[in-house]
Amino acid sequence: MAVQADAPPVVGRRRRRLRIDLTTPGLLSLPVAWLVLFFLVPIAIVGLYSVNVYSINLGPHSFTLAAWHDFLHSSVYLRLFWKSVKMALIVSALVVVLAYPLAYYLALSGTKRKYVLLLLLIAPFLTSYLLRVLAWKVILGDNGVINTFFFSIGLRSHNHPISQLLYSRFAVMLVLGYVWLPFVALPIFVSLESIDRRLLEAASDLGASRLWAFFRVTLPLSLPGVFAAFLFVFIPTLGEFVTPSLVGGASGYMYGNQIVDLFETGFPDWQTGSVLALFLLGVVAVLTIVFSRYLRSGQVAAN
Amino acid sequence: MGHHEETERLSRQRLLKIAAAGGAGLVASRLGTAQAALDALGAESGRLKVLDWAGYENDGGQPLFASYVKKHPHNKPQFTYMTNEADALAKMRAGLKPDLFRPYVGWVKYFATSGLVQPWNPKLISNFKHLNPYMVKAGQYKGKQYGIPDDWGLDAVLYRSDKVHPKRRSWDLLWDERYKGKIAWFDDPVEPLTIAGLYYGFKNPWNQSDAELQKSKKLLISKKHLVRLIWSSETELDSAFASGEVWIALAWPNDWVQMRAKKLKVVYMHPKEKPIAWVGMFMLLKGTPRFHLAHAYVDAWSSTKSGKWLEDNYGYGHANTLAHPSSSDLLRALQLSNPRAVTLPYAYLDRDVPRRAVYARIWDEVKAA
Repeated sequence: MAVQADAPPVVGRRRRRLRIDLTTPGLLSLPVAWLVLFFLVPIAIVGLYSVNVYSINLGPHSFTLAAWHDFLHSSVYLRLFWKSVKMALIVSALVVVLAYPLAYYLALSGTKRKYVLLLLLIAPFLTSYLLRVLAWKVILGDNGVINTFFFSIGLRSHNHPISQLLYSRFAVMLVLGYVWLPFVALPIFVSLESIDRRLLEAASDLGASRLWAFFRVTLPLSLPGVFAAFLFVFIPTLGEFVTPSLVGGASGYMYGNQIVDLFETGFPDWQTGSVLALFLLGVVAVLTIVFSRYLRSGQVAAN
Repeated sequence: MGHHEETERLSRQRLLKIAAAGGAGLVASRLGTAQAALDALGAESGRLKVLDWAGYENDGGQPLFASYVKKHPHNKPQFTYMTNEADALAKMRAGLKPDLFRPYVGWVKYFATSGLVQPWNPKLISNFKHLNPYMVKAGQYKGKQYGIPDDWGLDAVLYRSDKVHPKRRSWDLLWDERYKGKIAWFDDPVEPLTIAGLYYGFKNPWNQSDAELQKSKKLLISKKHLVRLIWSSETELDSAFASGEVWIALAWPNDWVQMRAKKLKVVYMHPKEKPIAWVGMFMLLKGTPRFHLAHAYVDAWSSTKSGKWLEDNYGYGHANTLAHPSSSDLLRALQLSNPRAVTLPYAYLDRDVPRRAVYARIWDEVKAA
């Protein structure tokens, strides 16, 4: 009798344990499957193309590291990569500097309309990316808004517009900065908003000026957001190809454009294209790891 | 003699009978072939899959294949776009199976030897006899008709005559220091290097030696700072040209037509080194299940009516020699009444590039420089 009386709870425990065991894998299975199927497998395929195990060319092909060797010894591709790194760094740094005061105002000014303003900040996302980039052509062109303004105030004549505004590296960086600004402002905003206000009050009580409190309290505590924001803009900008295609002209050509060209524009060379793509992925992965350490240390500082 | 006459008469009668029988047989055979083709057409099903350039599809080019749609309403063309031949190649290698597609003449040999295509049967294309014989020949490989010519045009220099004053009629206007920042090149892995080769007077600009290629590359890299735009779509070029951002461009006849329509003072200059002529070539996928429908589609495209429509609306030439545009300016500019307009001494017909991958790599270096 006693055994029979004890039996149901044992089954119940087993059921409970079984339910607990299945919950985590059940929840994780879909995103993990998604990640494997649409991220890891494609990367593996690109990897196989880069070593010629897969090939777009008909006929026999076998494993070779020739494309990797050529890439690592090619001044052309590496120089282009470095050019893109410099452009991405400039864009990211400038945009973070520009976005910080904006995010600061929204998060710490205490305005009641901050969420309305935040909505306004992200309003451009309601229109197409392509449309936003193309709109800049209207603004920056030889007969665009800026040049027309200069014509009207007599700073420039119709025969001598500022032609560096469009189809230039400047145009690419300006448009990229514009496109990514909201992305940069949001993580900084979140980071600033999560700062415990009592810390600022304490700094003030201890005699710190507002500027001093900003440099000693606010800025260090918001650094995780700043790093995240920097990474948010740097990574996509580094591999960007749409904006340079539209407003970059002959001088705004970037590393991303080269990858696209290798896959489809020039003569299909998927092997070299895969090498360039994987190299970019590798650099981005390393940067993410490095920055994530900063993020962690920033969080520690925040704590 | 009498016997001889009888024999002669008999033989004449016999000959007439044989001729009549032969004629009937021929007619029957032709009818049989036509019937077989019709039967085959009826047996083919599904929509015709066409890989083509944007602008030649339902949105822009419907009149070009209207007669096909009328005859085969259940097999309307279904389009996929190609941005260039390399893109088409990549798409097909990646598994796309169009029934037909349209590379340009320089790719005929490449595709004919790629194992991806099969020759056409010109007998199934009623308008074939009206097509320009020089272009028809350019569509052949080893005596087989792999490409059916359709649209054609030139690569030459378009410039604003109110802003630009060329020193001479030469390709070097594309890198004239006086017009720094107002020049546009065409983004193509072969064309700019070929033009450099023509400028230098190389023996075969389409198959330059390594030393020649290096010289061409050096020229292009040294002049690239003068270039504002390297265009890859006509929309991009036309927009930059119309807004005054570019005054000189390597362009196609259609761009000249477009700029004239915008009332710009433009000249379409044929350089003394001679322009390059290109011809669109319909090619047929190997093993296509819509063999006869593809022929019917190309036949519609090859008609005089379609040719005239293309010339009037796109400003390109058409391979049908009976097609003439309404504009006498275009007729003159493209010498549309001259069947030799695409060949020497008027132009170099674009051709196979044996080392296309090498050219592409060097062009990448120019762009990245």
